[in-house]
Amino acid sequence: MSPIGHELRLLLRARLAAGALVLLALLTAASIVAGLAEVRHQQQVIERIQPQQAADVAAISQWVSKIEDPGSAAYYTFHPTWDSPSSLAFAALGMRDVAPYILRVRALGLEAQLYDGENFNPELALPGRFDFAFVLIYLAPLFVIALFHDLHASEREAGRLTMLRALPRSRRLWWRRGLLRFAFVYFAVALPFAVGAIVSGTGLPTILAVLTLIAAYLVFWVALALLVGRMSWSSVTNAAALAACWLVLTLVLPTLAHVAINRAIPLGQGVELTLAQREAVNKAWDIPRETTMARFFASHPEWRDTPPLPPEFHWKWYFAFHQVGDESVADRVRAYRDGLQARDAAARALGWALPPVGAQAALTRLANTDLAGQLAYQDRVRAYHERLRQFYYRYLFNDIPFGAPDFEKAPKFGSIVPSK
Amino acid sequence: MNPAAPLLEMSNITVAYGAHRVLDGISLGVGAGEIYALLGGNGAGKSTTLSALLGFIQPTAGDVRVGGIDPARDPDAARRQIAYLPESVALYEHLSARENTAYLLALADQAQQDEAIAEAFGATGLQADAWDKRLAGFSKGMRQKVAIAVALLRHVPVLLLDEPTSGLDPRATADFNRLVEQVRDRGAAVLMVTHDLLSAADIADRIGFLEHGRIVDEVTASGPDRFDVRALHHKFGAAPADAIAA
Repeated sequence: MSPIGHELRLLLRARLAAGALVLLALLTAASIVAGLAEVRHQQQVIERIQPQQAADVAAISQWVSKIEDPGSAAYYTFHPTWDSPSSLAFAALGMRDVAPYILRVRALGLEAQLYDGENFNPELALPGRFDFAFVLIYLAPLFVIALFHDLHASEREAGRLTMLRALPRSRRLWWRRGLLRFAFVYFAVALPFAVGAIVSGTGLPTILAVLTLIAAYLVFWVALALLVGRMSWSSVTNAAALAACWLVLTLVLPTLAHVAINRAIPLGQGVELTLAQREAVNKAWDIPRETTMARFFASHPEWRDTPPLPPEFHWKWYFAFHQVGDESVADRVRAYRDGLQARDAAARALGWALPPVGAQAALTRLANTDLAGQLAYQDRVRAYHERLRQFYYRYLFNDIPFGAPDFEKAPKFGSIVPSK
Repeated sequence: MNPAAPLLEMSNITVAYGAHRVLDGISLGVGAGEIYALLGGNGAGKSTTLSALLGFIQPTAGDVRVGGIDPARDPDAARRQIAYLPESVALYEHLSARENTAYLLALADQAQQDEAIAEAFGATGLQADAWDKRLAGFSKGMRQKVAIAVALLRHVPVLLLDEPTSGLDPRATADFNRLVEQVRDRGAAVLMVTHDLLSAADIADRIGFLEHGRIVDEVTASGPDRFDVRALHHKFGAAPADAIAA
């Protein structure tokens, strides 16, 4: 039997070590199954939109087509948008559980619709998600600590260390033993992930990137465990020191850094933009219509040479003040977005110093479930909403009747499938 | 290597930590087919002597050679010449005697067939029904037999023993001594550091008395009685209280 075979037997005979590895593999597998189930659920919800949308449009069309009123069509018709999960989203759900992945928008003011979800979604964030990222970032280090904290110390405490050191090339023993344990921890995490990724249809480059990330992250914890092991403390002291490191690196420092970043980059909540936009819209009822239209035409001259407002209510004034309402908060929206990105950039920079933060950021980036992914979805919604406005404005500003066939002509949201 | 030179050789070895000299100019040599017992009390420098021979520490001064090799410069080469038995032979409890032996041999890059291991077990007197049992229930004597079997299988020219008879009953001590004689008779140089004057007198060809890092006397076995144990006890019994166990 080869030396590595002997080490393998030794490891597998140690019940605690073998049990820990089995538990890690089971937890990883469970997280993969949970992640795949969540992503499948989100996909099913997205798939259900189309038939429901058709039913909604049919109901609205039934009575709008009788009056052929484009304003009613624009006001009452919701248009679905969705953010399809990437093939890696199962591994790192990231912001997908707190930020909306489906948004039904109307041609009205957009800003109020974009941040509506923030009123309730934070509640979902409280328990957190049990996904692969959670297992890798928070749980796997504990197993590394369990397997590596007494690599030397257990031999010393059992009285074998001197005898082992007295053997020729005894240093290779630690390499073999360390590499074997690392390999087992790695495969306990990486194999279930690889299976989940194949089931999910993740592309090979992404799989390889995640496998590399897993290895790098585990190497960090192994190196830390070996460093502490070199102190020649007792195995209990090693374990306590490493547990303290785990607590500080995964929980305490990231939390403190989060607070520090939030203080350094003060930022309101998205829902404040909703309120600001709604206030602007509500005030419009008290402003002379001509003033609103003048502001609207100033930024949208292409609709200036259209029939003037009649004395009675007209939808084009209503939609114009919604758009003016959006534009009135544009600077705040930009500042909010810049602030979010600045915080995100600071957190990512912190990731170079705090591997748990860095690994999580890298994983959610690869899975497109981070802030950048969320903002990209918002950008797609904004672009789509602009197309909706242009579509309805043509009818509204030119007083073109809106019949049943026109519903079919409305732009459709095309979800951009993230790259694999 | 000069065949006439001792397999183990220490010349004027000093090991000092600051002003404290743990070994103070020790010189000794152990040739092939010889058992040298180094007797001394706690703190006399016995373990430091072994550490220097194993290359764990670099002497402050002097020269150490194991089979002609300086263990501080090339510890791996020196350790290939050495089998070392610690005071408490701790092996892997959840492996059998055979598995422990195979494992230690593999670590030393000297893997052996099962038949050879069985033969070595037979030579040490380890009962056959214990060969495939896990070590959890083994006595110290049985563990030492396993460790001696490893030494035999490694065919090393040097055997270092650290307090080998401590904690053994007289019968087990006698059995162990016969085993060490077997190793010696195969041509090995054996250095045994011990408190146990009786055991040393039983098997050693020479006995060195270590006190405060110095060999204060050295006696060689002679005549049918080999050593005058009573005289040795009287002579060195006045040394620090625990220096020599009667």
